[in-house]
Amino acid sequence: MTPFTEPPKRSDEPIWWALFSAGGVCFAVLMPGSILALALLPALGLTSADSLNYARVSALLYQALYGMAGLAFVGGVICLPLFHTAHRIQHGLHDLKLGGGLLSKICCYGLAAFASAIAIGLLLAGQLQ
Amino acid sequence: MPDPKSASTAYKPVMSRHWWLQHRYFQLYMLREATVLPLLFFIICLLYGLFSLSQGEVQWQSWLTFMATPWVVLLNLLAFSASLYHAKTFFELFPRVMPLAPAALMIVAQWLATFIVAAGLILLLGGWL
Amino acid sequence: MNKTISISRYNPEQDSQPQLQTYQVVSEHSTSVLDALLQVQQQDPSLSLRWSCRMAICGSCGVMINGIPKLGCKTFVRDYPEQLVISPLAHFAVEKDLIVDMSPFLQHLSAVKPYLINAEKSLQPHKQTPAQLAKYQQFANCINCGLCYSACPQFGLNPEFIGPAAITLAQRYNLDSRDQGKAVRMPQLNSKNGVWACTFVGFCSEVCPKKVDPAAAVNQGKVASASDFIISMFTP
Repeated sequence: MTPFTEPPKRSDEPIWWALFSAGGVCFAVLMPGSILALALLPALGLTSADSLNYARVSALLYQALYGMAGLAFVGGVICLPLFHTAHRIQHGLHDLKLGGGLLSKICCYGLAAFASAIAIGLLLAGQLQ
Repeated sequence: MPDPKSASTAYKPVMSRHWWLQHRYFQLYMLREATVLPLLFFIICLLYGLFSLSQGEVQWQSWLTFMATPWVVLLNLLAFSASLYHAKTFFELFPRVMPLAPAALMIVAQWLATFIVAAGLILLLGGWL
Repeated sequence: MNKTISISRYNPEQDSQPQLQTYQVVSEHSTSVLDALLQVQQQDPSLSLRWSCRMAICGSCGVMINGIPKLGCKTFVRDYPEQLVISPLAHFAVEKDLIVDMSPFLQHLSAVKPYLINAEKSLQPHKQTPAQLAKYQQFANCINCGLCYSACPQFGLNPEFIGPAAITLAQRYNLDSRDQGKAVRMPQLNSKNGVWACTFVGFCSEVCPKKVDPAAAVNQGKVASASDFIISMFTP
């Protein structure tokens, strides 16, 4: 055991925890409705016909509120929940004694950042078209 | 530091990676942490949807068909249940981390937020707005 | 009424690991687990255990009862009609039978400087309003029994984790209007073995015999540590 003589190094965890918490709010507040509206209700034919047609969805995602609606949606339903997921997987690996060190940390948050960048890239490409 | 006299003879228990199977409390904790796995599936669906939308109308239609495939619906149903379980745990823990108002009031307010967001998204994306 | 109980025995001079041994005790309505252990000690004086006050204030008789950390004096045999297995507190090294080496816990406690730090050399008493008292009072009820450490899988996985009780005490003094020692306590809380080793399992608060809610204290500590992180970015 390290004797408590020198002050220990400051952890960078506040960054990941802040992203995790913001993602957790999105997961709890935005996700139930999003899954219902985008996955379950349309698949079960419980929406008004053709509400998710190409023209309507592109207009909502690419043009509504000058593109801000699309950005808020991608940020709140894809990017932040991705960091939430990465954080729980990182700590879950530590709980299961399968990881939780620097390597799994780079993989978890790196993948979340990479997928978030792709999502924002796809959205911006559509908006600029 | 452990007492040096006892350090050599003391029995040091080692935690198995199956520790969380011991009690229901720990099983529910692991269930909470595992809610991110079905969530990850839904996020991947959304990333695929963003990509499909950027590819034009034909690919968008095939994404809608994909989302209505029975196994996809089943996994998204799991993601929906996971989001509700996550919301329950998250809303109960939040007032303990930030005690801004009586806990019961904060829990009700948070559920109300989830409900309003869900109603809004369903009305908007379901074509009733 | 006769009751069979199992007790984990470990003699460091003979055993390589603890083993369960069963005993018969006489259990009445008011028989606590500690009473039962003391009955066993009458039959077999080689049984080692810690205890003192019998009234849930000294915090020394903590044991695992059917795998859950509890105070022996605050737990009744009558609540265990099926099996009753008593073993030493989890996540600590076992010295003998039910005696564990608490020194890692005590060391973590002292690391957070759990006492009033105030440079003022006034002879007057420090005044405090009821509202200022209420901010930390719940966190001041800790009796240092260590049950929360045995309930904490993160402490079991990482013995360097400062742990629930120590972080709670750090919060208790950081929230005290008479204290000025927050700056010297924060480095411990800010480290990877401070508040950030916690994943809010929450079992520490379930087992706490004084309803201190250490999980809330630790997670409020995360908010404090995150604020400290942001402030540190803008100060040289």
